[in-house]
Amino acid sequence: MSDATTTDVQVDEGDKPQRRSPAGLLRSMELDPRLFGMLIALAVIWIVFNIWSDGTFLTPRNLWNLSVQTAVVGIMATGMVMVIVTRNIDLSVGSMLAVIGMFMALLQAEWLPQWFGFDQPYTWLITLAAGIALGAAIGAFQGSIVAYLGVPAFIVTLGGLLVWRGVAWWMASGRTIAPMDTNFQLLGGGSRGTIGGTWTWVLAGIACVGIVGLLINGRRRRRKFEFTLRPVWADVTIGLVGCTAVIASAWVINSYPMPPGLARKYAEENGIVYPEGGLNIPLGLANPVLILIVVGLIMTFVATRVSFGRYVFAIGGNPEAADLSGIKTRWTIVRVFMVMGILVAIAAAVQTARLNAATSGLGQLAELYTIAAAVIGGTSLAGGIGTIPGAMLGALVAQSLQSGMVLIGVDAPVQDIVVGIVLVVAVALDSLYRRRLK
Amino acid sequence: MFKSRLLVLLPVAALALSACGGSDTGSASPAAGGDYTIGVSWNNFNEPRWAKADEPAIKAQLEALGAKYISTDAGSSADQQLTDVENLITQGADALIILAQDGTAIKPAVQSATDQGIPVVAYDRLIEDPAAFYLTFDNVEVGRLQAQAIYELVPEGNYVFIKGNQADANADFLRGGQEEALLAASGCTGPLTPKNPDSGCAIKNVGESYTDNWDPATAQTNMEQFLTQNNNKVDAVVASNDGMAGGVVAALEAQGLAGQVPVSGQDGDAPALNRVALGTQAVDVWKNAFDLGTAAAEIAVQLAGGTAFQDVSITADLGDSAPAAGSDAQSFTTPGGVDVWSIILTPVAITQENLNLPLDAGWITEAELCQGVKAGSVAACP
Repeated sequence: MSDATTTDVQVDEGDKPQRRSPAGLLRSMELDPRLFGMLIALAVIWIVFNIWSDGTFLTPRNLWNLSVQTAVVGIMATGMVMVIVTRNIDLSVGSMLAVIGMFMALLQAEWLPQWFGFDQPYTWLITLAAGIALGAAIGAFQGSIVAYLGVPAFIVTLGGLLVWRGVAWWMASGRTIAPMDTNFQLLGGGSRGTIGGTWTWVLAGIACVGIVGLLINGRRRRRKFEFTLRPVWADVTIGLVGCTAVIASAWVINSYPMPPGLARKYAEENGIVYPEGGLNIPLGLANPVLILIVVGLIMTFVATRVSFGRYVFAIGGNPEAADLSGIKTRWTIVRVFMVMGILVAIAAAVQTARLNAATSGLGQLAELYTIAAAVIGGTSLAGGIGTIPGAMLGALVAQSLQSGMVLIGVDAPVQDIVVGIVLVVAVALDSLYRRRLK
Repeated sequence: MFKSRLLVLLPVAALALSACGGSDTGSASPAAGGDYTIGVSWNNFNEPRWAKADEPAIKAQLEALGAKYISTDAGSSADQQLTDVENLITQGADALIILAQDGTAIKPAVQSATDQGIPVVAYDRLIEDPAAFYLTFDNVEVGRLQAQAIYELVPEGNYVFIKGNQADANADFLRGGQEEALLAASGCTGPLTPKNPDSGCAIKNVGESYTDNWDPATAQTNMEQFLTQNNNKVDAVVASNDGMAGGVVAALEAQGLAGQVPVSGQDGDAPALNRVALGTQAVDVWKNAFDLGTAAAEIAVQLAGGTAFQDVSITADLGDSAPAAGSDAQSFTTPGGVDVWSIILTPVAITQENLNLPLDAGWITEAELCQGVKAGSVAACP
C-alpha cells in the first residue's frame, strides 16, 4: 500500500510541486479530513478493544454482529443528518420507532391473520408498506407543525416523544406482541436473514466496479466543465483503497460461517451428510446491513445530487437567503421530516424483525443515540453541515464502543458514562478543528 | 417551591379531616369498605401487567368491599410520582397503594401521607420506610425458582446471567435468589461472578450484565456478545424477566441454539408462555398479579379503617399465591436494614408440565399459548 503511494507521488511530481505532509496528501485527494479522522478513531477503538478482549473483538463473527447491531441507529442517523442540517431536531424517533413497530407487529400478528391467516406470502410486504406509510404520515404531521405553524422542532418532537410512546402503549395495552411473520423476520437478519456468501462477493464486485466507474465519470465531468483535475495518483489511490476495503469487508463477512446448530439443520433440510469437521457455509451479509447500505447510498444520492438535497443544505446554510432565492423552504422542511419518518419505519421493521417481538418500550433512548451518531459523524447542530456517510460511521463508532464494552465485561452504568464522554469529546474536537479553519 | 407545596397542602388537610370524620363510623369493621377512597399511584403503565391484571383485580376487590378507586400514572418519572401522590391525597384518598418508581425517592411522599394520617401500601416494589406496608411477591424466591428450574436441566456448565435495570432493587433481589439457589444446589461456596472463574463450582459464570430499562433489544445485543465471547459455549441462561428472555432467545435462535440452551424468565407474558409451550424457554416464574391486586385492595381498606400494620391479616383466598409465612403481617428487614411490616406472596414456576395454571386463571387464552405449537406436544395444547 505505502509503496503504491510513494511511486504515485513521484509520477505526479512532474505536474506540480506536491507537499508530502499527510495533510497535503489528503488535500490533493480531496478527502474530508474529519471523515478521515473518524476512520482513524474507529481503528484505534477497534484495536484497543481487540487487545483488551484477547483478540475476540476483531473476529469475523464479532464484526458481523457489530454490523447488524449498528443497522437500526445507522438507518435513522442518515435521516437525522438532514433534519439537523435544516437547523431542526427530531427527538421523537425513539417513540416513533415504538409506535410504528407496534403497528406493524399488530398488523402482521393479529389484524391481517384474522382475514388471511398466518404466514401468507405477502404479509410482510403489506406490513412494511403500511409501516412506511404511517412513518411518512407522522413525519408529515410533525413537519407541518414545524414548518407552517412555526412551532420549534424541539418542542414539536418533544411532544411527539411523549405522545407516540403513549400511543404505542395504548395500541396493545402494553402487551408484548410476538412472534412476527416468518418472512418479515428475514428483515432482521437472524438465522436465515442473510444473502449468502456468493451474493456477498457479487455485491462486492458491483461495488468495486461502481467505485471505479464513479471515479472515471468524475474525471470526465471535470474535464467537460474545465475544472482542475485530481492528480491521477490520487484517483488511483482512492480507487485501490476503496476496492480493497470493499473486498476486505466481503472477505471478513464471508469468513463468518453458519453456526454449527444452523448448519446441521441446513444439512438435514438439503439432504447433505453433516461432516465431522462441520460445514463451512458463509452466512454472508445480513439483511439489516444490506438495508443500511442501500439506505445510505440512496440518502447520499438524495443529499448531494438531487435538488431536494441541495435545498436542504441551502436552508441549513442560510434560511432567509434560501427563501429569497425561491426555494419552498416550508415544503422542504415537511419533506425532510417525512423522509425521517420513512427511515424510522424501516428501522422499526428491522428492530421488530430482529427481536421477533414488539414492545411499547422499543427504541427507548434511540433518539439520543441517533442524534449522537449524527453529531459524532460531524453534523453541526448549528445547521448547514453534515454528511450521510459521516453519520453512519458515527453510528458504527458508538455501537463499537457499546458492544466492545460488553465483550470485555464493562457493566451498563459505566458504558453510559463512556459513551457520554465520547460524545462530548468528539464534538469538542470538531469545534476546535473548525475554529482552526477560520 | 415550598410555598406552592404549602398551598397544595392546605385543602388537603381540610379534606383529610373531613374524610376522617365521615369514615369514623365505618372503622368498626375493617373488612367493610365503608365510603373509603383508595388512591393508587402507578409508576409506569407502559408495562403490560399493571393494566391487564393488577388494576382490574384492585378495582374488583375494592368494589366488593364498597370502596372507591382513584389512580395516577407517573410515566416512569420519580419526580412526577411525588406530585401524583399529593394529587391523590388532594382527591381525598383514605389509603394509598404506591407502586414506586424509585423506592428511595418516594420517601418524602410517604412521609407527607403519613403526617396526614394516610396509610401507605408499598405495592410490588419496596419502599425503605417503616411507614409503608410492604406487599409483594417474594422476589428472592422468584430468583430461586428461576435458578432451580435451570439447574435441574443443567447441573454443570457455563451460565450467563441477564439481570434487570441496575436502579431497580428487584434486579439484585432476583440475582441474589439465583445465586442462593445455585450455590445451595451445587454445594459450592461461590461467589458466581465472571471475575471469579475458579470458584470450585461445577457452574461457571461466563457472562453477567445489567440491562438498562430491562430493554429486550439491549438484552439481545448483550447475549450476542456473550455468545461471541464464549464461542457459543453457553449451556444455560438465567434471564431475570420475560422481555429480556425474548431478546436472549432471539440471539440464541440466530446461532441455531434456541431450544437447546435453557432460558428462564418471569412475569408470565403471553409470548413467553408461548415460548415455554414451544420449548425455547424452559421456565417462566409467574406471579399471579390478580392475587397481588386482591391482597393490596384488602390491605388498603383495612388500613384505611384504622387497622394497625401489625394487625393486618388477609382473608381473601389467594390459592397458589398464598403467603408461605401465613396470612398475618410479618416483620421484614429490608436490604437497607429497616424493619417494615409485610405480606409476601408466593410465586409459581411455570414449565411445560403446569402450563394449565395460567390458562385456567384466565391469564392467557389457549390461542395465544398454543400459537405455532405442534398439537399434543404439551398437555396444555391438545
